[in-house]
Amino acid sequence: MKRIFDAQLIGPFAALVIVSLVVALTTERFLNPGNLSNLSLQVSIVALIAIGSTIVIFAAGIDLSSGSMVALLTMIFALMLKFVGVPLVLAVPLILVAGAFLGLLLGLITAYGRIPSFITTLAALIAFRGLALTFNNGSPIFSLDPALEPLFYGKFVGIPLPFFYLVFFYGLAAFTMNFTKLGREIYAVGGNPAAAVLTGINVRKVQAITFVIAGFMTAVGAVLMSARLNSGSPNYGQTLELQAIAAAVVGGASLAGGRGNILATLMGAMTIVIVQNGLNLNAAPSSVQNIVLGLIILLAVGIDMWRTEISALVARVSGRKPEAEAAAGKKAG
Amino acid sequence: MNASKPLWEFVDISNAYPGVLANDSVCIKLLARSIHGLLGENGCGKSTMIKTLSGVKQPDGGQILKDGQPVQIPSPQAARAMGIATVFQEFSIVPTLSVGENIFLGNMPRSSLGVVDWKRVHSDAAAVLAEMEVDISTEAITGQLSVGEQQLVEIAKAVAMRASMIVLDEPTAALGEDEIERLHQLLRTMRSKGTGILYVSHRLDEVERIVDEVTILRNGRVVRASGETKINVREIVTAMVGEDIGEHYPKERNAADEVVLEAQGIATSAGVNDVSFELRRGEVLGLGGVLGSGRTEIARALFGTDGLTAGRVVLNGRPAAFRGEMDAIRAGLALVPENRKFDGLFFNFRASGNITAASLGKLTRFGLLDLKREEQATQGLIDDLDISAQAEEKTVNFLSGGNQQKTVIARWLFSSAEILILDEPTQGIDIGAKIAVYNLINELTRDGKSIILISSDHDELLAMSDRIAVVQQGTIRRIADAAELNHDDLVRASAETGRNREQGEVLA
Ligand SMILES: Nc1ncnc2c1ncn2[C@@H]1O[C@H](COP(=O)(O)OP(=O)(O)OP(=O)(O)O)[C@@H](O)[C@H]1O
Ligand SMILES: [Mg+2]
Repeated sequence: MKRIFDAQLIGPFAALVIVSLVVALTTERFLNPGNLSNLSLQVSIVALIAIGSTIVIFAAGIDLSSGSMVALLTMIFALMLKFVGVPLVLAVPLILVAGAFLGLLLGLITAYGRIPSFITTLAALIAFRGLALTFNNGSPIFSLDPALEPLFYGKFVGIPLPFFYLVFFYGLAAFTMNFTKLGREIYAVGGNPAAAVLTGINVRKVQAITFVIAGFMTAVGAVLMSARLNSGSPNYGQTLELQAIAAAVVGGASLAGGRGNILATLMGAMTIVIVQNGLNLNAAPSSVQNIVLGLIILLAVGIDMWRTEISALVARVSGRKPEAEAAAGKKAG
Repeated sequence: MNASKPLWEFVDISNAYPGVLANDSVCIKLLARSIHGLLGENGCGKSTMIKTLSGVKQPDGGQILKDGQPVQIPSPQAARAMGIATVFQEFSIVPTLSVGENIFLGNMPRSSLGVVDWKRVHSDAAAVLAEMEVDISTEAITGQLSVGEQQLVEIAKAVAMRASMIVLDEPTAALGEDEIERLHQLLRTMRSKGTGILYVSHRLDEVERIVDEVTILRNGRVVRASGETKINVREIVTAMVGEDIGEHYPKERNAADEVVLEAQGIATSAGVNDVSFELRRGEVLGLGGVLGSGRTEIARALFGTDGLTAGRVVLNGRPAAFRGEMDAIRAGLALVPENRKFDGLFFNFRASGNITAASLGKLTRFGLLDLKREEQATQGLIDDLDISAQAEEKTVNFLSGGNQQKTVIARWLFSSAEILILDEPTQGIDIGAKIAVYNLINELTRDGKSIILISSDHDELLAMSDRIAVVQQGTIRRIADAAELNHDDLVRASAETGRNREQGEVLA
């Protein structure tokens, strides 16, 4: 447990608490039960996709494809349900497999084709949306299946189902990253690929696996997106990849790879969604929302980069030298 | 001889990191025309002191006097402007730039138009290298040079600044005997011209040869500051460690007759040429030779990093074809690389993650890591190797250089490798840790593991090897029992290579 809940969570958690307080104090309706439950629904899709984006980042890659992949997968899902007549219980696992497969494709091109993941997934970002548009003459497909919506809007013991998806997948991801060989290898590859090669880690395979995970989680997001809107559309998921990456970054994941805590990504996603929600409730236009999102990302990375300077400043302002004192205390004791 | 007033005085300097007092009221006087040794065990605070006097770190307490006047050194640029040039322990060269560009990085000669005068960059750089008697092209891409050559470029950078004070943090850790001698010659020349020099090294033999006075640190405090008395190694060691350590090289002979690895005429495109030798169970086979003689390349060939263009490797009587490092590791080989920063450490892990990285399989059941066992096993190694207690509290980028090196070695002690290739395993680690590594070599060979030892420290190589192969220009010139060789044989082999190289130049 000590390993999962480590010091890396403190910053993102503090940010989340501060942002929630500010929004709660400035916005009347924020604490309404209706709004809170709506919030958890809003955060779920981004937060689930961000699991994959973060794991790719841990291995020093980047995944820009998820937004477009959501569009493509909702279209395939809709076609299967509406025109091919695949039953829902079969269509869902098929979509999950399809997502993992697309991730595998990107992973293989990146790891074995030695094309930087930024390029591979940028190409996919463009191509997947194009591909989505080739189905059904580029039009959305509506009213897919009456049993679909409950996947997103359903409740269990009064709690929305997406809450349980979050607990399950974040639990699984945190477990994988902290307690399995694969998790350790992902951090190692991101930390120093040259050293990973010399320790016998199959660097390419590990890189490829992170994209498979990302593809799978994107597919989970796509199913929920279809369920939420009971439709598939080539326009779904725009900038979703950027929100997912932002969640990872606000959660403190280092884009250089090797560092970060997967649970912090959930906090990052919540922080972002709460800010957006606050702006929404105060009727801020979407242009302002985008500007604020940009500033949050800068601030999150800035705080991380300037950590030493900030603590030195705090020490100077408070007129003490906490580090030196702590050291002296330790020596004496 | 040194009746002059001190150039720099550092009075009661203290430096704290979270949880450690790295320097505790340290006083050092640096004189012109003098080589001052700063010594002590790994993590005693040498590099931290150097960061202070080169403007990288502001001290938490104390005073700095330049020519008797109190000053501050707020930044590395300020230090340079005040005449302090520093060669840091961790490299600060830019691997993708040429040697000439690196030497003048930050103060490139400019033409009257204000653009960089490339002709002068290269001619001035060549002049500096010639002064150091170093034979490296200024056009070469620095990252493609060997570690030793990169170290020489690093030193050239400091020389090119024409500073009044030169600070060298373990400059010889990556150098061979030959290069060390040339560097010493250069330092002596600079000293006679009036430069003050501060010198950190774990190679006590060379300290004895070159240093005029010493300051010894232990746990961040000065435990000994010699004026101009003659220094002797034994006293230094006693002051450093705090006790008298007996045998320097506790060699055990564990070689059996059984051959575990055989190289048969192997060659690679990296310059390995017709190399053949046998390695026996429990044996330590030393590879001697100068920098760039091809020892590291032989290691890479055995390890599957560079593909063989001829010959074959026979492992336990069966031919082995390694397509890469992974195959070699699976077959029971291990390589402790010479360049720990780039090829060895995971700076995002604490010591435990670094130590177990090559043996995760051993700790895994059904994909699950046994974190308890990991902790116990690494704690054992941390104790055995006397790695800093901080190693488990923070990621390894906070450890001193020597503790980092010990961590890399510990990784292979933990693995189940049968054949270990150790490339400069004691580079940059203190005397106590060196002896710990020697004892571990004994322990490994006693267990029936075999070792290929690459070392530029001739005394160490002669003492710790069973047999030694003298490597020259990518090939083995001679294999003999270590007992039959002496220091001069190895030095002579080096000198001959040096001459060959020069002849090659003339012919080319
Ligand atoms: N950036 C840092 N943050 C925290 N602790 C540090 C940092 N740098 C060094 N230390 C600690 O300060 C102490 C002194 O380290 P320093 O690098 O000065 O040792 P050193 O004498 O140069 O050792 P070596 O011979 O191994 O290079 C060590 O305990 C080290 O772990
Ligand atoms: Mg040091």
